[in-house]
Formats: sequence, C-alpha cells, structure tokens
Amino acid sequence: MATNTAAAPQRPSCDASTPNPYMPYLATVVEVIDETPNIKTFRVVLQDADAMKSFTFQPGQVGQLSVFGFGESTFVINSPPTRMDYLQFSVMRTGENTQALHNVAAGDTIGVRGPLGNSFPYESMKGKDIVFVGGGIGMAPLRTLLLFMLDNRKDYGKISLLYGARSPQDMAFSYELPEWLGRDDLDCVLTIDREAEGWQHKVGLIPNVLLEMAPSANNCVAITCGPPIMIKFTLQALEKLGFAPEQIVTTLEKRMKCGIGICGRCNIGDKYVCVDGPVFTLAELKEIPNEL
Amino acid sequence: MGMQKELQAAIKAILPEVDCVIGWGSGPDPLHGAPLFMRSEDDANRFASGFFAVNNPALFLPEYKGKKVAVVVKGCDARSVGQLLSEGLIKREEVSLIGFPCQGVVDHDKVAAALGEKGEMGEVTAVLEEGDALVLTLRGETVRLNKADVTAEKCMRCQYPNAHIADTFVGEKREPVATADDFADLAVFEAMSLEERQAFWEKEMSRCIRCYACRNACPLCVCRDHCVATSRDPSWLTQADSVKDKLFFQVIHATHLAGRCTGCGECQRACPVGIPVLLLKRSLARSVEKLFAYRAGIDEGTPPLLTFTLEEPTIKERSW
Amino acid sequence: MATLRYLPLAQVPQWLDGLAKSYTVFAPAREGSAVVYRPRAEGSMPELTARPTESAKHVVFPRAHELFSFTYKADPAVVGKRDLTLTQPQDPTPTVVFGALSCDARGFFAFDPVYDGCGTKGLAKDVYYLKRRQNTALVVLACRTALATCFCNWTGGSPASREGADVLATLVNDGLVMEALTPKGEELVSGLAEAGAEQGAAAEASHTAAEATMAPVPGAPLDPKAIADAVLARFDDATFWQAESAGCLACGACTYLCPTCYCFNITDESNGISGVRLRSWDTCMASLFTLEASGHNPRTAKANRLKNRVGHKFSYYPSLHGGRFSCCGCGRCIKSCPSSVDIRRIVQNALAAANVKE
Repeated sequence: MATNTAAAPQRPSCDASTPNPYMPYLATVVEVIDETPNIKTFRVVLQDADAMKSFTFQPGQVGQLSVFGFGESTFVINSPPTRMDYLQFSVMRTGENTQALHNVAAGDTIGVRGPLGNSFPYESMKGKDIVFVGGGIGMAPLRTLLLFMLDNRKDYGKISLLYGARSPQDMAFSYELPEWLGRDDLDCVLTIDREAEGWQHKVGLIPNVLLEMAPSANNCVAITCGPPIMIKFTLQALEKLGFAPEQIVTTLEKRMKCGIGICGRCNIGDKYVCVDGPVFTLAELKEIPNEL
Repeated sequence: MGMQKELQAAIKAILPEVDCVIGWGSGPDPLHGAPLFMRSEDDANRFASGFFAVNNPALFLPEYKGKKVAVVVKGCDARSVGQLLSEGLIKREEVSLIGFPCQGVVDHDKVAAALGEKGEMGEVTAVLEEGDALVLTLRGETVRLNKADVTAEKCMRCQYPNAHIADTFVGEKREPVATADDFADLAVFEAMSLEERQAFWEKEMSRCIRCYACRNACPLCVCRDHCVATSRDPSWLTQADSVKDKLFFQVIHATHLAGRCTGCGECQRACPVGIPVLLLKRSLARSVEKLFAYRAGIDEGTPPLLTFTLEEPTIKERSW
Repeated sequence: MATLRYLPLAQVPQWLDGLAKSYTVFAPAREGSAVVYRPRAEGSMPELTARPTESAKHVVFPRAHELFSFTYKADPAVVGKRDLTLTQPQDPTPTVVFGALSCDARGFFAFDPVYDGCGTKGLAKDVYYLKRRQNTALVVLACRTALATCFCNWTGGSPASREGADVLATLVNDGLVMEALTPKGEELVSGLAEAGAEQGAAAEASHTAAEATMAPVPGAPLDPKAIADAVLARFDDATFWQAESAGCLACGACTYLCPTCYCFNITDESNGISGVRLRSWDTCMASLFTLEASGHNPRTAKANRLKNRVGHKFSYYPSLHGGRFSCCGCGRCIKSCPSSVDIRRIVQNALAAANVKE
C-alpha cells in the first residue's frame, strides 16, 4: 500500500492574527454623483482613519461594495491611487444590489472590501504612447489609469482617449470632460452612437471612430473596456491598425462572490478573474480557453 | 424475439427519421440503468429495457424542442409526455413514442433495505432475473429477492402499464395492476396528527442538502433556471440551512405541480437522501382528481388549474 | 507505528459519550434510506455497515454559515441616522468526526490549498474554514470492500488509506482496532486498551482484503498529466460535452455529496434592521452560478457546466495545485446521480478522444 506511506500534505491552520478577508471596512459615502440615468458615482471614505491612511491599491484593482441586507458586488476603484481623499466607484443599476446602492445617500454607511484583483501593467507602459478606448460604464476602469498617468505625465508618451456612449446623457464623468478636452497633453475624442442636438463631437460607433483616428501601433499600448460587443469589434479594429495582442489590454467581467479566488464561479479554465484578472492582455486571453 | 430485441428493432427502424431516440442503457453497476440517447445502430444495441429502466425519459423532451425525437416510454412516462403535450411544452409532431407493456421497475431503496447486513448495492457484481425473482451476486454469494418486494410503489398501483399514447407499440398490452388509485400511501401518513406530520416533515427535511435533484428530475418543472429556490429577485427563500426554507420550497414545488403531476415519482427517486417528497404531490393529485375529475397526463384538454370555468362540473358551488 | 488499541463494539457508544464531554461528535446515522453525518445522539450506536450517502465535508464546511451579522440601530442624536455594527460569529468548538471514510479525509486535501491562500500565490486565507479544519479530528473507518462506484485508487487513495486521518479505525470481528496517526488522534484513543497481536493482524488482513476488492485502475499506471491535457483538449469540442451531459439533470447532487467540491455563494439574509451575511454551498451545475449582472452567462448550457465541473477536477485544479486532482474517487457523484452520470467514463472518453486525435 504505497499510497498509505506517501507523505500527506500538512493540515493548514490559522491564528487570531490571520485577517478575515470577508470582513468589509465600514465606509461613509461622502458624495453621490448622478452620472447618467442608470449610473451613479459614490465617493467613500473608510471610517477607520488609520485604515484609510494605509489603504493602498494599484490602478485597475477592484473593491466589493456592500449594502448590508442586500449583498456585495464588485466595482473597479476608479479614482487613482495618486488622489486618496476618497475612493470612487461608479455603479450601473442592473440588479438587486446595484439598486440598493443607488438608494444610498451621502452620509450613509456602506461596506468596502479591497483592493482585490490584479492591476494595469503601468510599469511596462512607461515610455510608450497610450490609447484608451472606453465605452459606456467601461470608462470607469480606464479613468483610474488615465488620471494616474496624467498625475505621472512625464513617464508616458502621447496619451489619447476615445470615449463613447450611446447618447450624451449616457456619458459618465461629463463634468470632467471639458478639462480632458482642454488639456494639451491629452488627445481626447468623444463619440456617441447617433446624432443628438447640440453635440459638438464625433458621431459613430467606437470601433469605426477608432479606425478613423488611426493611432500608430508603434511603441503604443491600447487599453480598452466596455460592453462585450464593443470590445469584440474594438479588438478587431486594433488588430487591423497593427496592434499586436501583447499591445492590447482589457478588463473582464464575471459574476463574483468572494473576490479572493475561492468561491469558484469566475474561472476561465485555471484562471480566476477575481485574482488573476480583471486585467488581461489580449495575448493572455488568447492563451486561455474560450469561455468569455 | 424478446421485448428487448423487439424494442431495439423498433428503435433502429425509427433512427433515420429522428435526431435521436431516448431510452435506457446500462448504468455504473448491474442494478442501475441510465438514460441513453441513441443516434446509431451501435447505440441502439446498447439499449436495455426492463426492471432497471427507471428514469423517465420524458424529462429530456423539452430540451429537444425544434428537433424530431423518438422516446421509448413506460406507461408512467407516457403520462408525463401526455401532460407535456396538453401544456404545449412539447409539440406532438416533434415526438414519436415507442410504447411497450411495462412490467414494473425497481425501487433501489427497497433493494438496499432487503440486502441489509448482506452488503451494499454497490457490491453487487451480477444480477439475474429468474421469473419473479432477482438473483444478486455479492461478496461471492447469491441473494434471491422477490421482485415484488423490490418493485417501485408506483408500479404496485399502476393503472396504465401500456403507454396510452404511442406511435409504435411493441408487444402485447398487459392487464393493469390496479383499476383505481386508492392513495393508500396517503392514508398511512394521514393517520398521523397534524403535530406528528409537522414533526415528520421537519425530521425528513432536516437532511435535505438542497441539491434540487427533485426539481430537476421533474419532467413538468417549467421554471428550470429561474427557480425561486435560488433567485434573489424575487427573494422568497433564504439560503440558510433551515428546515423552514427547505420545506417551503417543497410546498411551492408541489403546489406548482397540482393538477400537473402525473406521479412518476422521479422527484423522490432522484433525492439522494431519500426524502419522501412525492407524498405532497400525491396529496394534491388526489384533491385534483376528486375536485376536477382530472388525471394529469391521461385526460385530454386543458388541465383544470391552468384555466378558469365559471362552474366546475364536479364542484357545483351554485347549487349548494 | 503507533500502539494499536482496541474498542469492543459494545463499548463504542460509551466511548463516544466520553468524547462528547470535550468535543462535538459527528457520526454516521441511518435516516430513511440515507446514511448521514449527524451530531451524535447520546448513547447511540453509529451506522458502521452502510457507507454514508453524503461526505463529511459539511462538518468543516457547513452547508450555510454566518460570515458576520449586521445590525442597524437608530442614532438618537441625529434624526434619520442609523449606526451599523458588524459582529463576527464565535469560533467553532473542537469537533470529532467518527466514521469518516478514507476518501472523506483525503477530500479535505482538495480544500486545503485553496482555502489556505494558494501556497506561494499568497492569496487571502479563509479563516472560517481553517478554524474548523484545525479544530476537527477525523476518526476514519477503514472500508472493508469497494463499491462498483469506488475509484479512490485513481486518485492515490485506498480503502484503508491513512492519509488525512487522525485515527484509523478498522472493524474486526466484534470491535474496532484503533490506530492513532497524529498527536490529536493519540489524545482521542489513549484511554483505550492495547490491541492484541491477533487483532492487529486482523486489521492488517482487513486492509489487504479491502484493497483486493478495488477494481484496478484502467490503463494503470495512470498518468495525471495526460488526463489533465486530454480533458482540456476537449474544451472546444461541444459535441463531446453535449453527449456526456445528455442525461445530466443539472442538479447539485454530485457537487453537494462530493468531498472535494468547495464552491460557495454569499448572500445577505435580512429582516430590514438586522441580518446575516451567509456563506452557503453553491454548485457549478446551476445556471445562476455564473449569470453576470449584464445578463450574459458564459455557461448557459448544462454541457458547459458539466465541462467546468470535470475540467476543474481533472485539469484546472491540478494545474494550480501540484498536479493533484480535486477528486478523491469516492464515487458518490456516480452512486447518487439520478441519471447515473459517470465521471470516470467522461475522463476515459476524453483520454480516448485525445488518443484518436494524436
């Protein structure tokens, strides 16, 4: 009975000092911004001042927001780590928990777990040109990296942003757009799907406008996020423009619960989007099974 | 030619016309059959009818909507098909039924109980059917069981052993086992006081693991992936491991099946921990039979609880 | 080898009553047609003949348990303001599972790395699991025969495997030969009389006899890497998974009876002003498991879900955890499947398909 004598794995244990990864920080909502008819932005501050002071994260990492009694959902921290007055999350209303979040007002207490997941590989992007392509709520994860790069502007080459939404009303962060458009160190292009009165910018689907903009793939990284159908055609457009899979970065959405690689639902093959993602290069995505 | 061969011939004959033929094959041990989906003559050669063909193949029919399939049915399976048809859940022209005179099927719980200390079902290495007896080999010995002692309860009261709807019927129709359902199983349960019944259910449901095999084995469950058991919107049940929630689900499930359940018993058979969940449905089936003179899956027309009539012919509330 | 001890069957209830003074004791009990692990009733004799229908995993990983509770309380100073408190549950009490099977004990090895931060990956540690795990002693009852659905030998196990057990108990004639395998196990059995040489030999003979009833591993020696590759190679073969899942009901019997399935859900259950955040078992066989907020679902068909279940056990998990399957071969998924879906056959069919292609 050889198997009986084989060294069995050690039984694991923990002690009182092991942190409980399921306990959220309590956080006060300091500001709620109505972005669009179905998106709200929440600015929160952890109630434990020391925790807030020592809270660190990388651009692209996510947090779990709780409304106790409803549940917990995952959102990207869309404020940059260079601006730590508050943590910002933007929430599109889609179900039970996001509805509960939309009912939250300034002064209310919610729960925050994080930071979770991986982050944008911004170190390897230093010295390169950057093209952001964001669609709808997909602008949220891009915002954190965009602001982080603008706060470390000298580390990067030319930075371009193509941001699209269905209509002007569906455009989140509209209050920031004048500043972005006005900066001479940022090439900002806005587009909407169909003509709308008073719209001064592009009209057309994001992949088409991107082809029109025709950014050079040379020494450039493209970062894209948005609805699945937009991502699909944007990836095609980028490849057409000569971007190699290693030069394209995107983020994935999956149903998540634990956020720490245990509960088992966000896997694609042996990759867990909650810990191995949500940020992947297209090259990495091509290596994993096709189950998006 | 035995029944098995005759059925195989009928299956092979229809194979060219259909996407697949649903029937039974062998399972992981000699006491278990398994659903079999036949697309070739080789598949058909693996078809196995008889005492261990317990699964109700009607369960799978809605998955094949839009494709033509054939299905081999016991009498009880045909009732499920009948009910699926009356509710428009499958189309008559997409389903071809192969019936045969069913001689009853096994109840594995009874076999396990009959074996007792002699060993577990999984130790049985061979099974022979000798007339009214089953001869099992386990631990190097043979054990003889009376088939009647290990036959499913539903077969002991079967009124419809010959598929009542069949496009092909193989073999000679047999006499039904019973002419009416006396619901004797309910009488035993109803002899208990209400407190005893409550205690009974609390004890039984306390070992429920919430796998929902009962629900998923039910050919007439229509909610499928949108069940209140796990839905959070609406959130009717908590996910707590509580008897209250588990029993609540069973009551919802049974109520949803009132006047629709044909008593195939797959819910109870599928339960890995042997909770007698069919009892609840049997009780409602008896009420519907009494109130509306309707036998699900047998009587044609719209099921009484899926429609509204000003006066039910059997209730006559205006002449009270 | 540690000193062997002997516990006459007639004294089993009394011995367990003694343990119950310091531990919560779980033992197999017959209920209806099932055998389930229950907190033991005082004076009762555990079921030692028929093997438990369910695994013992719920002792360490309960079907549902509280992660914390929350309470809102009106702040008397500020109108409309509510104070919120979160309270963590009490730590688990020391527990003994008497009569776990060797596959149950080995099943926890599939949980361990995942719940302990994935080793060198350094992920978060699941304190709820780890506390119960270190607080639970396993008295494994050696199997005397293999069932048709048993395949622990595919996964490195055997009917009387000592892996993961604190005590190995072997039924011989009219008593149990008890072999302590860990200090915790020694603590449990130290009060028992020493076994005679004959009883020790009988236990050894029982192990050998049980081993002889195991069906040999097909195509032995089994190559775990070849299996992992073969299962992964079928990923885009929709026809393969449709055929394998044709009879599957997409229920959770397999996952919930499985000693190694560890997936869970988290939900808030609230009455408005207070409630609990609950962790409860979940199953990858359910459509809702992967339904995203957008309405998109990567695994709508049961074929995709069964693919994930088999893929996880035999390919994804091994690739992350040293080549070990997240399957201990207990066969409960086969034995209790209403449709007799046989995970061994799926693996073998994947291997066969891989061999055809190459």
